[in-house]
Amino acid sequence: MTSSRLDLGHGIGLRTTHFAQFMAERPPVDWVEAVTENFMAPGGRPVSVLEKVRAEVPVVLHGVSLAIGSVDPIPERYLAELAALVERVEPALVSDHLCWGTHRGQYLHDLLPLPYTEEALAHVASRVGQVQERLGRQLLLENPSSYVAFKDSTMTEWEFLAELARRSGCGILLDVNNVYVSARNFGFDPTQYLRGIPVDRVGYFHLAGHADKGKYLLDSHDHAVPAPVWALYREALRRFGRVPSLVEWDDAIPPLAEVVAESRRAAAVEAEVLGPSSRRLAS
Amino acid sequence: MTLAETQALFHQAITGAEPVAADRIDACFAGTPEHPAADRVAIYANMYLWRLVEALRQTFPNLVRLLGDQTFAGLAEDYLRRHPSEHHDVGRVGRRLAAFLREHPDPERPDLADLAELEWARQEVFFAPPAPPAGAGILAGLDAGGLSRVRLLVSPALRVLVLDHAAAPLWRQLEDGEPPGPSMPGPAAVAVWRSGLEVFHASLPLDEAAALAGARSGDSLATTCDSFGGRADPATAAHAALSSWFQEGWLVGVGR
Repeated sequence: MTSSRLDLGHGIGLRTTHFAQFMAERPPVDWVEAVTENFMAPGGRPVSVLEKVRAEVPVVLHGVSLAIGSVDPIPERYLAELAALVERVEPALVSDHLCWGTHRGQYLHDLLPLPYTEEALAHVASRVGQVQERLGRQLLLENPSSYVAFKDSTMTEWEFLAELARRSGCGILLDVNNVYVSARNFGFDPTQYLRGIPVDRVGYFHLAGHADKGKYLLDSHDHAVPAPVWALYREALRRFGRVPSLVEWDDAIPPLAEVVAESRRAAAVEAEVLGPSSRRLAS
Repeated sequence: MTLAETQALFHQAITGAEPVAADRIDACFAGTPEHPAADRVAIYANMYLWRLVEALRQTFPNLVRLLGDQTFAGLAEDYLRRHPSEHHDVGRVGRRLAAFLREHPDPERPDLADLAELEWARQEVFFAPPAPPAGAGILAGLDAGGLSRVRLLVSPALRVLVLDHAAAPLWRQLEDGEPPGPSMPGPAAVAVWRSGLEVFHASLPLDEAAALAGARSGDSLATTCDSFGGRADPATAAHAALSSWFQEGWLVGVGR
């Protein structure tokens, strides 16, 4: 399964605290990303807001509970609700994470890293195929931030992700902050990670902040994108070209204007590295 | 280790369901002298508990106010050990908290379970499927026989609770930042519903709660009205109740 990269521009994560303001002010963002599980319920305010937002800007659905790497079977209930939401929202893209997160029916609500082995690769590739077949469209998977690695791993995360994309046809949501966080936590060169990812598989970038916990960096999404992540974003733009970006801010969420400003900064950095986009030149 | 064995061990270490021997952690996970494997795994264990307790705090804000942060966290941890999340939406992890509190009552605050049940119902109706409310005009064209046989269809965004204690006044005190009064033994009925995008609740007479519960389970309109038989003027009471149900948007149609 292949897909050409969409020219979405620069977006922000749509968060509950900003619903009313977003609808009232219609801030200058090109697209929004909505956390899939927050909109799976059939009624209530979230669904109502998403209906309105999708009439204004493209929406990308980003899941946190698919648990593509879990040994547990993917629950039919989850797949059915996901398929129904995708049909209703008609998102520009559908993404989740390269991780596991369920065990014998119990949800851990975390994005847990996998051992990067041939067994895990075959398992995840098969499940990506199952999801893509069910949705009738490509799934993009995001590289996680990690704090542990496994002694059994026989390949790097970027080798695993690249091979997974090749075997399953999935796209890659490259989280630039997560590359930086994991690089610091395990002592590898983040640019080596970027070089290992196939250019044509990257559908969009995530940008976010992290917290320095002394012995490790925590993917906290609780403040602005820090300088080293902006620097790595520049590197990523040089390698991958014009890729849509998305600023995530999930904790200690600031006023909407501040999140939008981060997204505009991503647009400015892109223009600085790659020149103005054709969309901007045409307008 | 197989993928299944790795995930089982990781799960065990994160949830603390059973202690994991240090040598098993070291055999599976890579660490460094500065940041050993066990400390790295502990990052996930701490986040697991923090995330779920935080989800419970968001669902039960007034229970948190009543108990205080620390006591609530202790209760949440006990609850999560017994009832880990079984749904992809972390917001649903608290669905058994009221039942858990009934099984483990606090002698000083026997109304905790009732407050939890009320707060859970408020969350449930917020996410209930939409159903446009019906007006009283839907009964207009029916003759007397048809009226008595017709069934009222109750909104999916309405819950009727019959609680052991009056939790609604307690909820209001806590919501307004007032000191909580003592627990008030019931039974006490409460209607919880969504109108538009807002959630409301209100105390109900017990016979009206029984009438609504009966209507939801398929009682005819005649049987529903019989619920008010204990009133001085049952017909007027039934009429007043029905009018308010239509007015609040609790009814979405009629069935036969």
